[in-house]
Formats: sequence, structure tokens, C-alpha cells
Amino acid sequence: MSGSAMLEVKNISFSINQNRLFQNLSFNLSKGQAIHVKGSNGSGKSSLLRILLGISSASKGEVIWDEEIGKVFLGHKNVLKNHLSVADNLHLHGLDVAHPEVRSILKDLNLDQKAELLVGNLSYGQQKKLALVRIFLNQSSVIILDEPCVGLDDQTRRLITTFLTTELGKNKSIIYTSHIPLELPSSEVIIGIL
Amino acid sequence: MFDLFKLELFKLRKKLRAWLGPILVFLLITISFPLTVELASDDLKNVFYSILWIASLLTVMVSVEGIFLEDYEDGTLENFSVANDSLFSMVLIKIFIYWLLIGIPISLLGTFFSVSMTGEMSSFYIALPSMLISTYIFINLFALGNSLSLNKGSVLGALITMPLLFPILILLGKIVLNANFGFEISNLLLLMLGVLLLIIVFIPFIISFIIRTHLE
Repeated sequence: MSGSAMLEVKNISFSINQNRLFQNLSFNLSKGQAIHVKGSNGSGKSSLLRILLGISSASKGEVIWDEEIGKVFLGHKNVLKNHLSVADNLHLHGLDVAHPEVRSILKDLNLDQKAELLVGNLSYGQQKKLALVRIFLNQSSVIILDEPCVGLDDQTRRLITTFLTTELGKNKSIIYTSHIPLELPSSEVIIGIL
Repeated sequence: MFDLFKLELFKLRKKLRAWLGPILVFLLITISFPLTVELASDDLKNVFYSILWIASLLTVMVSVEGIFLEDYEDGTLENFSVANDSLFSMVLIKIFIYWLLIGIPISLLGTFFSVSMTGEMSSFYIALPSMLISTYIFINLFALGNSLSLNKGSVLGALITMPLLFPILILLGKIVLNANFGFEISNLLLLMLGVLLLIIVFIPFIISFIIRTHLE
């Protein structure tokens, strides 16, 4: 691992059914850095994140994480149980709905009056917001988000930007994909994902 | 590990239809069987155990149908893998909780019915250990089948598992046969316990590997 890099990606390539999505991709992630993974639909952005997270394997190349690093991920699946209430879902993620910090975030996201509602009865946007609560209150050093703004209103998008900016200030690192640009300082664009 | 146990128990406890429904099905079968056949009480004693084994097998099959599906579909398993938490522990605990909430209640109900059906206290010593051990084995095997067919429907999983269940059903039949002839049944129970001890460790390990493959 070179210098202050938390993550080192060395010449990774990825193909699905002989369809090459990207090749020889290399970059580093340092503390307090944000990386915006850009690309058209189907270019392999989500696949890249899954490779970085160790869920999928690259066809070629290496992904080296600093072993001590904790990661939190929000992808296309919200990790929510539809048959449980908002409060019960938060409980499953180790969060107490009565905790002032949790209540404050729920209020910011206009979910404070919905604690007893079943998640299955919430709209897509509200479910996405609830999924973000887990991310907002996580202490991991690296935040990885796959299209975090899909289905969200302007107010929530601004809230995400503010949250991520604050987290960068705390020396945390962020990797995200988004077709909707987020005004994040020092965000870096990976070019070459075809 | 204890936190994980508490969370998994909370999840299943809140999902009434996943555990209470199968128990009610079991209850329905065991109550309705003697009402729907006209057999002399001696004949009834002989066939009741078979019904008990089949009912517990079907109950477990129905209850374990979605053991990993929901967690797979809502991203829980993916999240678990990202957090570097042990999938093996999760599978082990999940199976144990299913046994706790479904396996133990149907074993107790089955024992109660077998004692009341045969009118002999000795049935207690046949039914209770056999059912406690066999339901745990059934849950493990059906969980394995369901993990193999995670995104392909539960029927395939049940079909894959069926051949693995036959030896256990044969053992259960032998236990009743031995008991009827007044032979020792503890050796057969110990054999089944031995199978369970092997399964308890190996099946969750295999399942966690299969789940990881599905996530890729």
C-alpha cells in the first residue's frame, strides 16, 4: 500500500459473458478523498463498486484495502424489511428510534412521524431516505454509495451533499456513482469506463 | 454472536406467518388424521408415527422455504458480506432460531399427540428425542436446498433435498419398529445425533459458501 492510500486499485478489468465492461483501471483512494465514478448506463459502475467491496471478483488485476478500514455500502437494495415498521428496521441496524441523534436525522428527512409505519407502506423515496439513515449514522471510514440520489427530492439531495461534505471533513473517504451531480469538494472523476 | 442471535430472533419472531403458520399446519394434520381414518386403535398406533414424521417433514419444508430469500432480495446478505461479518455464523444462528421457534414446538406437540394417541408413556421417549433431532436435521437439509435454489424458486430446492432426507426417514421408521418389538432404540437415536452433529457444522459452512457464490 503506497503512501496514505486506503485503497489501491491496480489494473483491474471486468467482463460479463465475454462483454468487456472496463479494463486496466487503476486508482487510489486516500483519507478525506471523494471519488465520483462516472459512466453511461451499463458501463459497469455498479460492478466496479461490487468488485471494490469484494462481493464480485475482477477478471484481472488487484484491489488492495488497508486491512483496518471499515466500509459501509448503500446500493440499489435498501436493506429494509417491508413487513417491519420504520422503528423495527432501525433496530435491526442497531439504531434506537428514541435516540436524539436518530430522531434528529429522521426529522431532517421528514420521517419522524412515520416511526410506527410499515416500511412496505412507505413510498420509494421515503424508503431510500430511511436507508440513508443507516449510512448517516455509521462510523465506518469509507462510504460507498451506488446512485444515492435516485428517487429523492432536492431537499434530500442537498442533505446528502451536506452530510458527505461533513464526513470528508472528518477525514472519511467516499466512492459514489451518480448520474445526478453532487457538489462535493475535491471529487475526482474516473474516466475510461466505457 | 449473541447480538446476531438477538437480531435474527427478532426478525423471525416479527414474521408470524413464517413460524406460526407452519406450526398450525402441523397441528391441523396431527388433529385431523385420527378423525379422518377409521382404524382400530392398535392400527392407529402403528401408522401414527409415520404421519408424525411426514407432518414434521412437510412443516419444516414449508417453514424453511424463505429462510434466505428475503435477506437475499433486500440486500441484507450483501450488506453482511460487505461488513466482513461471518456468513457462517449467520447461517448457523438462523438455522438454530428456526429450530427454536418451529422445530421445538412441533416436537413438543408431536410428543403430546403421540402419548395421547397411544395412551402409553413410553411414546414420550420415542417421539420427543426423535423429533427434536430429526427436525434439526430437516431444517439444515432444507436450508441447504433453498440456498442452492435461492433465486430459482423453492420447489427446486425441495427436490434437491429430498434424496438426502430418505436415510433420516428410514432411521425414524427403524426407531418405531425397534420400539414396537421392545428392542433398544438408544443406538439409533445416537446414530441420528451423530449425523446431526456432523450436519450442524458442515451444512452452514456449505450454505455460506453457496450464498457467497450467489452474491457474485
